[in-house]
Amino acid sequence: MAIRGSAILGALALAGVSLFGLSAKADDVTISVWSLDRDIQPAPNLIADFNKLSTGIKVEYRQIQFDDVVSEAMRAYSTGQAPDIIAIDNPEHALFSSRGAFLDLTDMIAKSTVVKTANYFPGPLASTMWDGKNYGLPKATNTIALYYNKDMFKAKGLDPDKPPQTWDELVDAARKLTDPAANVYGLAFSAKANEEGTFQFLPWAQMAGGGYEHINSDGAVKALDIWKTIITEKLASPDTLTRGQWDSTGTFNSGNAAMAISGPWELDRMVNEAKFDWGVALLPVPEVGAERSSAMGDFNWAIFSNTQHPAEAFKVLEYFASQDDRMFKDFGQLPARSDIAIPETGVPLKDAALKVFIEQLKFAKPRGPHPEWPKISKAIQDAIQAALTGQMTSKEALDQAAEKIKAVLG
Amino acid sequence: MKRFLSSMIDGRGFDIGLVSLPLAFLLTLSGLPLLYNIVMSFQEVDMFSLGSFWRPFVGLKNYRDLFAQPETWPILANTATFVIASIAGQFLVGFGLALFFWTNFPGASWLRGLFLVSWVMPGLVVGAIWNWILSGDFGVLNFILRETGLIGGNIFWRSDPDFSLWAVIIANIWLGTSFNMILLSVGLSAIPRDLYEASELDGANVWQRFWTITLPMMRASIGAIIALGLIFTLQQFDLFAAITSGGPNNASNVTQYWAWDLSFRQYDFAKGATISVIMIVFVMIASVVYVRSTRHEVRG
Repeated sequence: MAIRGSAILGALALAGVSLFGLSAKADDVTISVWSLDRDIQPAPNLIADFNKLSTGIKVEYRQIQFDDVVSEAMRAYSTGQAPDIIAIDNPEHALFSSRGAFLDLTDMIAKSTVVKTANYFPGPLASTMWDGKNYGLPKATNTIALYYNKDMFKAKGLDPDKPPQTWDELVDAARKLTDPAANVYGLAFSAKANEEGTFQFLPWAQMAGGGYEHINSDGAVKALDIWKTIITEKLASPDTLTRGQWDSTGTFNSGNAAMAISGPWELDRMVNEAKFDWGVALLPVPEVGAERSSAMGDFNWAIFSNTQHPAEAFKVLEYFASQDDRMFKDFGQLPARSDIAIPETGVPLKDAALKVFIEQLKFAKPRGPHPEWPKISKAIQDAIQAALTGQMTSKEALDQAAEKIKAVLG
Repeated sequence: MKRFLSSMIDGRGFDIGLVSLPLAFLLTLSGLPLLYNIVMSFQEVDMFSLGSFWRPFVGLKNYRDLFAQPETWPILANTATFVIASIAGQFLVGFGLALFFWTNFPGASWLRGLFLVSWVMPGLVVGAIWNWILSGDFGVLNFILRETGLIGGNIFWRSDPDFSLWAVIIANIWLGTSFNMILLSVGLSAIPRDLYEASELDGANVWQRFWTITLPMMRASIGAIIALGLIFTLQQFDLFAAITSGGPNNASNVTQYWAWDLSFRQYDFAKGATISVIMIVFVMIASVVYVRSTRHEVRG
């Protein structure tokens, strides 16, 4: 009996200590954040800075791998172990918000003094929306434009200050610049059978009045025909079909392609590797005066709807947004904000290029947003590849894609 | 009780105990996931019901949907081509090398060991290297073929729908040959030498000796290596991910890559599971062949 008595006492004492311990820490709300940022990228650094402020909120960080973001998040959410905040790739945002997995931030944003939706570029902001409500905040953004080799332009009698403005001019320039004897293709881009292919093609369809909802419109067919011309006339390497944007642009840097379509993530490598004068131009449009468009990439912040501390989690997001002006200076990423000027880097080629990318961002459009985006995207990739390999005409391929997309859209 | 104890220490109980351990291990780590996979192929699965087991039962809908897709039959045909061509290539080259090293010239065993390097290399590394070799504009393979005059213009191995599947097959043959060679070498060295001496005395030539002694004596090894080859080629995923990603336009897509693409790229887990079930059937057949061909080894 005596033994049992002391055991109970001991247990009570232990419970008391642990209760005390808990209550002492209870002031600090713990918010968990998942993203794929490494130590030199924004998330872990911003979190470290935030924790130094001792706001009564403690943020814990976990890095996840790019390929695992969605499946990890799904598993965690469906078993009730989701983090409070996650960084999600923008075309996958709607997958979660449409199913109520992300918290509706509309009211909190309306009341916030830090976050103002008007400060964001329309494309990135739209990718966080579903059904007219805000389900997150853009984390950073990027887009694609046309890189061109000014030295090669001069050598082939083209004006290096007048990069191609329209599709016809682009094909024309590519024909003049292609030089099989010197191992030079006119253009490098990516039509790979993954998200990159969709990322590169969709802007073309949108510029011509198409879009994923009407992918077989005349404009989109014309866009794919232009791509087909470029591939069949070998103005771009046939390996465009299996090569990603990073590898394609590598051939531009090494002087094996005279133009390349890619994004600002190439800038640092290009400054180091390209031994020639180059410039960046807005994506060529179908004809002079046509609507501009471009792709929109990068991640968004979102709060999971089953968070215990929505107010605190939003405070963390507000802090992230307040640090957007450091995005480029410290981490080399473009903030999705139209009210923040990108500071000069002191590298003239890079500064000139960034101005074009910022201009292009105004026309950037999100992919979707739609909860079943991966399936829509797959239909588009299949169409691109079927047409470019010559197995179907552009019209047939896009008709088939439209059919598949219609089944997804319901 | 005593009898039970004694049987546990030395007897039937002990045997059962020994068997039940690996059996339990197999059931929990292979059997359950396999069953779960089969169950999933009859359910409607989306990302938010991933965590639960009781999901809406849809019968054969996933199977019907799958075979209604235009790419299904071409992909199944690709898989058959990939498996047959890979196994044939790996086996023929591997057997040839095994016979070559069997002649035991100086340094033969040392060289044979070196061949294993290809087998121990991680698939993604092999894929990345073949990616460069097969590259259309600057690939080494195209360079060699051009210099020797075999081709006039570059072949775009990865991007031409007529070649992309063969590009992966070439890489896979290279990857699997050494394993075939080692297993077949073991089989060859187990053939008693006196058989050859006797047949030589009877006047059998090299060709006759090969057909009447080597091949029949190697039957078990050959059965095993082909069954294992079938299993390994059906598991080959890294090369597809690294070289063609199944493109262009599914020309080099095979079931194992497609199952992954459906599950983890398009988040259609049910269809991914459905394809896996179809593959399980084929692997089961291969396993039966393997077990049957190695059975007498266990008894002997």
